[in-house]
Amino acid sequence: MTELIPADVRARLRTLQLRSRRLAGAHGSGQHASRSRGAGLEFAQYRAYEPGDEPRRVDWKLYARSDRYFVRESERESPLRLWLLIDATASAQQQDQARPGFTRLDAIRTLAACATDIALRQGDQVGLMAVEVDAVRLVPAGTGLRQRDRLWLGLGALHASGRWPTALERLRPVWERSVAGDVVLALGDCFDDASLDLLERLAAAGREVMQLQVLSADERDFDFTGGHLFRDPETGQELLGDGAAMRADYLQRFQDAQREREARLRQAGIAHATAWMDEPADAGLRRLLAPGARP
Amino acid sequence: MPLSLLFPAGLAALGALLLPLLIHLARRSEFRHTDFAALRWLRARPRPRHRIRIDDWPLLLLRLALLALLALLLAQPVLRPIRSGQAAKVLLAPGVPLARARLLGLPADADWRWLAPGFPTTNGPLPGAAMAQGSLLREFDAMLPAATALHVIVPERWGPLDAQIPRLSRDVHWHVVPGTASPVATPVAPSPPRLLAFADPQVHALRYFQALQAAWQPTNASLQVRALDASQAIPADITVVAWLSAKPLPAALQAWARAGGHLLLTEQASLPAGVSLQPRWRDADGRPLVAGAAFGSGQLLRFARTLDPQSMPQLLDGDLPDRLRALLQPPVAPTQALAAAHVPVRGQRIASPPPATPLAPWLAPLIALVFLLERWLAGARTRRGPA
Repeated sequence: MTELIPADVRARLRTLQLRSRRLAGAHGSGQHASRSRGAGLEFAQYRAYEPGDEPRRVDWKLYARSDRYFVRESERESPLRLWLLIDATASAQQQDQARPGFTRLDAIRTLAACATDIALRQGDQVGLMAVEVDAVRLVPAGTGLRQRDRLWLGLGALHASGRWPTALERLRPVWERSVAGDVVLALGDCFDDASLDLLERLAAAGREVMQLQVLSADERDFDFTGGHLFRDPETGQELLGDGAAMRADYLQRFQDAQREREARLRQAGIAHATAWMDEPADAGLRRLLAPGARP
Repeated sequence: MPLSLLFPAGLAALGALLLPLLIHLARRSEFRHTDFAALRWLRARPRPRHRIRIDDWPLLLLRLALLALLALLLAQPVLRPIRSGQAAKVLLAPGVPLARARLLGLPADADWRWLAPGFPTTNGPLPGAAMAQGSLLREFDAMLPAATALHVIVPERWGPLDAQIPRLSRDVHWHVVPGTASPVATPVAPSPPRLLAFADPQVHALRYFQALQAAWQPTNASLQVRALDASQAIPADITVVAWLSAKPLPAALQAWARAGGHLLLTEQASLPAGVSLQPRWRDADGRPLVAGAAFGSGQLLRFARTLDPQSMPQLLDGDLPDRLRALLQPPVAPTQALAAAHVPVRGQRIASPPPATPLAPWLAPLIALVFLLERWLAGARTRRGPA
């Protein structure tokens, strides 16, 4: 398998951290604030002693002052569970004129690998859910180096084809595997309304959803000249036109659509950023994980 | 230098210029297939802008130039030397004193030339002996542009000439100057022939030769007759020997004839090997009377018929001596004439193009160069990356 993360990007990834706004729900010790309380560094509260509490957790100095047994409770820090929700429909075949052969899926793989790297370094669990050919390819969440290898294998096996599933039944694994409090990082173009709907509903159902939109430079600049027969890889729809003549209109409509999408995401409380295929892989992630990206 | 084409139809190949233009435009107007995921925000324009736009000017120009050069090569271009303009030409015939000709008051800027092969200027000496003047005059006239005035200065007695008055394409200013075309000697009429006959004395035909001798040399009328024996040397004053026998010619007699003598043979005489005769004199019906051939530097004549009046009535005619003498000593045509009577007449113009330089030897390397340049440029495009 080829190296997914370029060396310079890997070096810069050390400064990035994945944080959840919610309390982490997974069990074990980690770096995130969790709902579970117990022994730890951060003091939370005192409570009355109950039989069965460990004697070492009793605050003996307080007992000396008040002659009662109090148990000192701290907040526990737990690991996150991060789900990489990848849009591997046919639109992920999009390539740039300037860099033929490098598809949106390639960019998504690199971004997913970067996110995996960040999360595993923090001791979090990472799983993969790729929407592909009307189905969901799944790598169960886990942690550790072997999980990284499993994820990379899963990423390498992805093949961009098909359309976003219209039947909700197909997306059931997404609901079954993720629980409230999990972080869902959606990677894709998010052109489909159905994919946006899924994110909104996941957010409403208590998942911490982040959306990193991966766009090509052509979609941003529309730098086409001369006659082109444009084809939508998902619908197969074709459209004949002169690039220069269509540019202004396209840019206007595309930016309008982007603004509308951003408004919807903000309303749903979904962190959102755009990663461009002609920039280093960590730049998009950095924008997404920066505090400003949170609505 | 005026450029002209030997094969102007070759320029039709210029039509091939359309090819790269059409290919260029056709290739440009075809649509590239592009996958574009954000198609839903594209709005179709009813017609893509379609105006003639050239993508790669230098390469196209180079290819057009290459084709144009090839078409030019097909048309076989030549460079013609400049015909020096309107300055009048003066031709000076040999025998005219130059100083005398200068007094004629011809235009000062005129171009003076000798009427001699190559037409050298009169600044130099007259080259060699005079050549046929009429022919030279015609040649010079054909080489000259139609509008150029031509002065010709000739001596009163002009020569050597051929038997025809020159026909030129222009009206010639004819100047006659006292003088003579000196180097040509006037022909001297040769002395009448003297006969020697080898024959048996009883031969009937001897009488005709007797008469011929008497007619040619009335003062020395007796015919010398010898028996058929050539052992004795032939006297120096004898110019014609008649061999009136069917016997083969003796070697001594043949050697004498080859050295410049004239041999007269009867009809039954056998010829030396390797001589074939042509008719020299025909009767009124066109049948040959005398046939002849050159023999060494001499001549051999044979009567085609038996020498008697029944078969050859011309033997009795009074002009027989003159006729035979004309065969033996052909009259010399006069080569000089009075210049005033030999003025050229106006005739058809014969276009004689001066020698032209073909341009193909220069054009071919140029085409090769342009071709290499085109290849290099096209290759550079590919090296830069796919178009």
